[in-house]
Amino acid sequence: MNEPKPVFEPQSNEELAWLGTDPIPASAYHDPAYYELEREAVFKRSWLPIGHVCELAEPGSFIRRDIEVVKASLLIARGKEGEVRAFHNVCPHRGTRLVPEVSGTQATFSCRYHAWTFGLDGGLISAPDFERFYVKKEQCGLKPVAVEVFAGLIFIHFGSPEQSVRDWLGDLAEPFEQLPIAKATQFVEYSYEIGANWKLTFDNFQENYHLRVVHPRTGGPGCAEPNPFAYPERYNFWGPHRSQTIWNNPNLPAPQGVQAIGNGRIVDAAGRAGLFGAELGMDFTCLFPNFTVFGPPARQFTQTVWPLGPNRSRGIVRFYWVGEEENASERFAREYVMASQRDIHCEDRDVIEAGQAGLASGAIDHINFQGQEVLCRHLFEAVDAMVAAWRSNNGG
Amino acid sequence: MHNWWRVGATVTADETSLPDGFEALERFVATWAIADLAERDAMRGSSTPDQRKAFYSVASGLLEPALDYLDGKPLTALSDPEQRLMNLMLSLAHVALAQEVQHEDEAHHAHFRSFLPFTPKA
Ligand code: FES
Ligand SMILES: [Fe+2]
Repeated sequence: MNEPKPVFEPQSNEELAWLGTDPIPASAYHDPAYYELEREAVFKRSWLPIGHVCELAEPGSFIRRDIEVVKASLLIARGKEGEVRAFHNVCPHRGTRLVPEVSGTQATFSCRYHAWTFGLDGGLISAPDFERFYVKKEQCGLKPVAVEVFAGLIFIHFGSPEQSVRDWLGDLAEPFEQLPIAKATQFVEYSYEIGANWKLTFDNFQENYHLRVVHPRTGGPGCAEPNPFAYPERYNFWGPHRSQTIWNNPNLPAPQGVQAIGNGRIVDAAGRAGLFGAELGMDFTCLFPNFTVFGPPARQFTQTVWPLGPNRSRGIVRFYWVGEEENASERFAREYVMASQRDIHCEDRDVIEAGQAGLASGAIDHINFQGQEVLCRHLFEAVDAMVAAWRSNNGG
Repeated sequence: MHNWWRVGATVTADETSLPDGFEALERFVATWAIADLAERDAMRGSSTPDQRKAFYSVASGLLEPALDYLDGKPLTALSDPEQRLMNLMLSLAHVALAQEVQHEDEAHHAHFRSFLPFTPKA
């Protein structure tokens, strides 16, 4: 039989040139002044996914999230009627950080300084000797932060959002909602700190150009003719959000040994759970500014990259799973998938830091993106547009 | 399970026994039958190449029979020997990545992994 040879053509530079082709100013990736602008223009003015509703299983469940880039600590709690609320984790008496625990379940929160006590709705319930104050209890609730739950994810916004999460996602909202994370009931997480600007860290995960160099063993086999760089089938853009659709190479050698069993049994489990078929199921989707979800249901994971400073960031990777493992095969397969994915991710950290060291030296004024690094360019353009708008509104 | 009172005691056959047909794995129970994901991952990192090789060479061929056997029961109803077999196979998921993917790069790769630890369960 003469099987037709698979062919592959990545999206052409002509198709992608609408985003521009100029070099990008390197200072955006290390300059403390630019970082300050990003804090104000981007991170205080965007919806940010900070967790998942499965972390707030019942009324009284709460999580604390420290968001260093805006110097905030948040308390997110599920109320008696099931509603999710977010507050600054700050006591309105004299500012003490209210909740020290990372998560838990309780009906009230008491400040360890003078014992003001708040309910799940943020209201002040009791305060010792309150008659001596010059204010009413109703004026002393926890300061709320805008919060929305969308596709199972908890989004917060530090400003006054002009749009709901759904409107902000636009045409991406509907396919995004079909992803299995919307139904997830549990997750396993790993995280890392890295000496690199958040965009440099994030960019690493939205281009495939580096795969065969940095991942010769874990990713190398996926870089095969007729697509030796494992470039995606196409790129997709929705306002500031973007994705790449992975191309399935029919030429790849079949996995062997334990790898074949691990990969095979997770596909079986995802099939039984009916998780295939989502429109973004072959996409690596990025929500502006700092969140990604990898769609394939057999190895779905999310990554959030949090800025910690101009030259520092933190990546948090989560595998979200729908339901308990049905049997031993599924338990084994989940473990294999998570360990193998972490094996790939850990290979990037070192080389990203090397990139930051070079940029921070100031030796180069510009960085150059090729056509297949278009998602990196798109992130920069989206950030820079917000920075420019904020500057012009604030007399910059 | 709290077994602090057994510290220093000899491990008895009762604590290493596995379901019938999996006796060949009993000598690996003390090292590799680990109940927690982060600890299984850590054991991959701290084990010697010989330990990984010995475990993989026996366990990889028993993975399918073990999963097929364990799939016959709800995960919440596993006996102690069955749970040990499950935990051994979960460790194999990690060790297989060393044996099948990393080969002689495993030691260097362990350094990379040390910066991305799994978050312990709350
Ligand atoms: S600062 Fe919280 S009660 Fe005084
Ligand atoms: Fe990578």
